[in-house]
Amino acid sequence: MNAFARMALATLATRGVQAIIVAVIVGIVSFAMMQALPGDAAYRIAAGRYGYDMMDAASADAVRAELGLDQPTLVQLWAWLKTLAQFDLGTSAVYGTSVADEIASQLGYSLLLAAGAVVASLLIALPLGIASGLRPGGLLDSMSLAVSIFVRSIPAFALGIVLVLVFAVQLKLFPVAGFQGFSNLVLPSLTLGLGLAAVSNRVIRDAVVDAMSADWRLFARTKGLSARLTLTRHVLRNAALPVVTYIGVQLAYLIEGVVIVESVFAWPGIGHALVHAIFGRDIAMVQGTALVLGLTYVALNLCVDLACRGIDPRGRTA
Amino acid sequence: MTHSIEVDMLSVFAGPTRLMGPVSFSVAPGGTLVIMGETGAGKSLIAQAILGTLPGALRAEGHITINGSRVDTLPVAERAAMWGHELATLPQEPWRALDPLMRAFRQVTESYRFVAGHPPVQAREDTAEAFQALGLSGAEDRLPGALSGGMAQRVAFAAATAGKAPILIADEPTKGLDAARHAKVVDLLAKVPATGGTLLAITHEVAVTRRLGGHVVVLRDGQLVEQGPAKTVLSAPADSYTRALLDADPQCWPHSNPHSAGDVILTAQDLAIARDGKHLIDGFNLSLKQGERVALTGPSGIGKTTLLDALAGLLPPASGHVTRAQGLSRHAVQKLYQDPPAAFPTRIPLEKSLRDVARLHKTDWGFVLRTLEHLGVRPSLLSRRPDEVSGGELQRISIARALTVRPSVLLADEPTSRLDPITQRDTLRLLEKVAAEENIAVVLVTHDRHIADKWADRILKLAK
Repeated sequence: MNAFARMALATLATRGVQAIIVAVIVGIVSFAMMQALPGDAAYRIAAGRYGYDMMDAASADAVRAELGLDQPTLVQLWAWLKTLAQFDLGTSAVYGTSVADEIASQLGYSLLLAAGAVVASLLIALPLGIASGLRPGGLLDSMSLAVSIFVRSIPAFALGIVLVLVFAVQLKLFPVAGFQGFSNLVLPSLTLGLGLAAVSNRVIRDAVVDAMSADWRLFARTKGLSARLTLTRHVLRNAALPVVTYIGVQLAYLIEGVVIVESVFAWPGIGHALVHAIFGRDIAMVQGTALVLGLTYVALNLCVDLACRGIDPRGRTA
Repeated sequence: MTHSIEVDMLSVFAGPTRLMGPVSFSVAPGGTLVIMGETGAGKSLIAQAILGTLPGALRAEGHITINGSRVDTLPVAERAAMWGHELATLPQEPWRALDPLMRAFRQVTESYRFVAGHPPVQAREDTAEAFQALGLSGAEDRLPGALSGGMAQRVAFAAATAGKAPILIADEPTKGLDAARHAKVVDLLAKVPATGGTLLAITHEVAVTRRLGGHVVVLRDGQLVEQGPAKTVLSAPADSYTRALLDADPQCWPHSNPHSAGDVILTAQDLAIARDGKHLIDGFNLSLKQGERVALTGPSGIGKTTLLDALAGLLPPASGHVTRAQGLSRHAVQKLYQDPPAAFPTRIPLEKSLRDVARLHKTDWGFVLRTLEHLGVRPSLLSRRPDEVSGGELQRISIARALTVRPSVLLADEPTSRLDPITQRDTLRLLEKVAAEENIAVVLVTHDRHIADKWADRILKLAK
């Protein structure tokens, strides 16, 4: 087994343990938060099932008894953890469907949106960051700094609404919301991607500045490599390391952003579902989606870890 | 005959200020030119002006001719085309000059492949041959971070010379290398003129100049002090500065006064040390007396730094004991580091660093100021940051910082190996003086056998 494979297994094991810890913590915390919400959950669930006009105290009590909401809190938590231990996320309190099935169809949409956001952010940040980094202090560098601060200061939902107003309502270039085809992907991806790019283009710029002023870059040049070869063989790899690491840091922003942006654009993803489930007090749904979001975060971090180890051979025992 | 390098009235300016020059010199093929002087004398500016790598804010004036064609008027791209093919460069800090993410072998292979233009298979064969010839076998798969300074410099040498450039420019190539590696790198350089190449070496070390010979140019504060054949300049210097530079060579130092030793304050008994699971030193014994000066020598990588850490109590020994005399706290043993900038927080003014130590150890600030004065450090320097004072000043401030703790033992890890010869001599003299006055025992790690001979009361040699 080579050094990289050994290291990859070690990373996998660490992240696996982390995933279990995350699952338990997310489960308990989301359960506690649902309990802490004011109002009677049974009423809201009954309203979700039958509609506000069709429900009464009796149907709420029936829901309470059916779901065991009258049981002590710890008993409810224990029941949920027990089903979870059998890899069962339970059934939706409102729709009666399997939570796992619901999430399976939504997660794909969310991952598509997240991927779209990362691609959009890289399409913006890479050329801008590299060009700024090659001429630090230049016009482009100063302007990108100012614009980055401005864009990052706008919350994702406000940015989304501005983009909808300009590109969907006024210019009619893209659909407003929902999901019928890939043209729907553009605006939500851009909303998230702009927020990501606002910071990552500066990180890329700093990485390029560092690499370009490093002693090893000058030595690569004076030993006779052309500027192009120095860039492709040395500068990019060294500059990529902090950038990839930073994308890992941005995952938190991305997941938080997915929840908000999906709601703005009525995107049929997991974040949209989470918000709906919270309003409807669909406890099993909330816990299931929160859990899947947490585990996705761990899984994406694992990918970033492996990418970093792939780029940086240091720390691998040869 | 065409000269390899001909420099006529070269000056380097920053805006209207002349930083260096004017200097004129020339070297023929097979010749050697050594530029001597202290750090900040402008030696590197000459190398950068010849290469065409001066930082953007600097400007060179005067004529530079390489192999018969004038280059100072050429655009950057055309000058860059000479790199690796006509001009090879050995970097000052080999560790920093190698790509930290690429293994040593590939960094040399890419020179054979892209600079010399050999096909991939042959490039790898050439690299293997070069590694063999330079004694680098076993280092092929190492990353620069895992190479010793001497190895890194030889890897850089192999990478720089793969294109068979006839002119080699070496800027302080021996900085921070131990005696054995030092000699190897200098031998490597001496071979260049012997095989018809041209060598331009920049150094502050008299020993290197003596070994390389050729034509010597002495610079001070950017001004040409004197130049001439090495024999004449080294044996009969015309200028007082050159003489001071030569006198600062540890070989020429007078012996320090021996110290009458007092009680034993630190003992090491049958000490064995290991770092990162690697076994380094066995059966080390030491009994250190008050005020004593001990030199610790040995090849690089043998574990001198690790041994000091064990003596300082910073690292548990693999076996054996380190015992302090009764009543001495662990703060009574202090350490001085090799690279002074690395031993200070970068963005904190020096005064704050020192005041923090004084406050922590309840030392009177007046004592710190007196120590600084004693060490010849102007109090006005304290408002600066570590990168705004010279290496010699910073090392003296770090001595003052260690003395603030009122130690009984100073463990000095090559404290002057990165300093200029005159600064080195002054710093070690001051260290000797304060150690004698405060009755502090000093363990000095050095790779310079002459320093060990002249400075210490006794020498401990570590061998494999």
